[in-house]
Amino acid sequence: MTDTPAMAAPAIQAPDLTRTKNLDQWICWWSIPVFYNLFGIVFVYLARLMPPPSPGLTTDQIIHFIRSNATHLQIAIVTLSLSLGLASLSSGIIVVQMRRMKGAGPALAYAYLAALAVAALPGCLFCGLMFALAAFRPDRDPALVVLLYDMGLLSFVGSLGCFIVQYMVFAIAIFLDEREIFPKWLGYMSIWGVVTELLAIPIWIFRSGPYAWNGLISFYLGTIIFVVWEFCLVVSLYKAIKTQPSQEVLA
Amino acid sequence: MANTTNPGLRACTQGISIPGDTAHLPGDSSIWVFVIGEMVTFSCYFAAYLFDHRQLHDVFLQSQGYLSPNLGALNTLVLLTSSLFVALSVHATRAGDSGVAARFVGLGGACGAGFACIKGVEWHSELAKGFTLGTNKFFMHYYMLTGVHLFHVLLGLVFLGIMWRELSGPGSPRVRLVETGATYWHMVDFLWIIIFPLLYLLR
Repeated sequence: MTDTPAMAAPAIQAPDLTRTKNLDQWICWWSIPVFYNLFGIVFVYLARLMPPPSPGLTTDQIIHFIRSNATHLQIAIVTLSLSLGLASLSSGIIVVQMRRMKGAGPALAYAYLAALAVAALPGCLFCGLMFALAAFRPDRDPALVVLLYDMGLLSFVGSLGCFIVQYMVFAIAIFLDEREIFPKWLGYMSIWGVVTELLAIPIWIFRSGPYAWNGLISFYLGTIIFVVWEFCLVVSLYKAIKTQPSQEVLA
Repeated sequence: MANTTNPGLRACTQGISIPGDTAHLPGDSSIWVFVIGEMVTFSCYFAAYLFDHRQLHDVFLQSQGYLSPNLGALNTLVLLTSSLFVALSVHATRAGDSGVAARFVGLGGACGAGFACIKGVEWHSELAKGFTLGTNKFFMHYYMLTGVHLFHVLLGLVFLGIMWRELSGPGSPRVRLVETGATYWHMVDFLWIIIFPLLYLLR
């Protein structure tokens, strides 16, 4: 007998159908770079929403911005509507990983999922939709184009508040977790996320300065923190899936 | 060899890490990532404030006249006292006296709640005078800086609550947890010490 400890495992074992452990999570994980590349193309290159045009543009400038950009805006909304669903794949992994936590029950994981679903519409889809609406009829009343322009950008930057609950439940779950599925510093970074959402409040009032929708604090600081947070989240998810045993039973 | 026997010098080097010494960064190391990040983001708010202060000097001076430096100074005193209680609580925790430590955290939390109440009174009186977030650039910065800081105070009260629960529970409390909470609370205090002169005193 050459019994090694590894072979002392249960004699009858279900056949392992997938050669790669946690294959479902890896499929979801690889959708993240795909989604954010599309996100970047849509918002930075096509719709030119990042960095956002100024809230102080005149009516003529807004009309010019929309009409000279019409084709790009239409490609943007088509790409966005086809790919927005990809954002939910990363939530799939986050929920699985949050349910592995010890000391934080699954309620927070479901709350995270629902909070993100609520926030993704005003934070992602509405702005592309409004800009595409403005571009749909080239002869549309200029006053209505200005309205759509404001609606698009105010929902894009102003809706950030909708993400507060998502950040908060994620931070609470990380702090409660005794298994350290995610590093504690990711929890603290999520609190920065909450703070940056608060900083978007004054964009409803100001059309210039650091707290306008294209301002140093409301836009740039918030965006930098979001990008850093997202990057750290993706790396942490990679490590969490990598170290997760394939036969683990979730609570 | 005289170095090791000189009590004055030994006292001077007590805060410095020496190989073999048990000196450590207080609290969980993650909290320091957070503290440094907060310093960077708050520096951005301060830079934006100072930029506007230079551009609109007259507006800022005039608007500043409507703030109450007395309430601001009172709040500084309240928050400093609160930090003192929390520091005493850390000392008591390290000495193994959880009962005393829990009481100090309670006192610190009461001062923190007092700070929030005074801030509420101050905001109410500014709003009653008709000064809102949209009045001008000065009040925009005033409400945003004090508001974001107040959010940190409220979050700090949650941290203090967790510390209190740890200290009053059965068994020996985790010193690291108490130190982590205290580190956060001192950061909140430190930020206010910058915000107070910027908003109320800077001419």
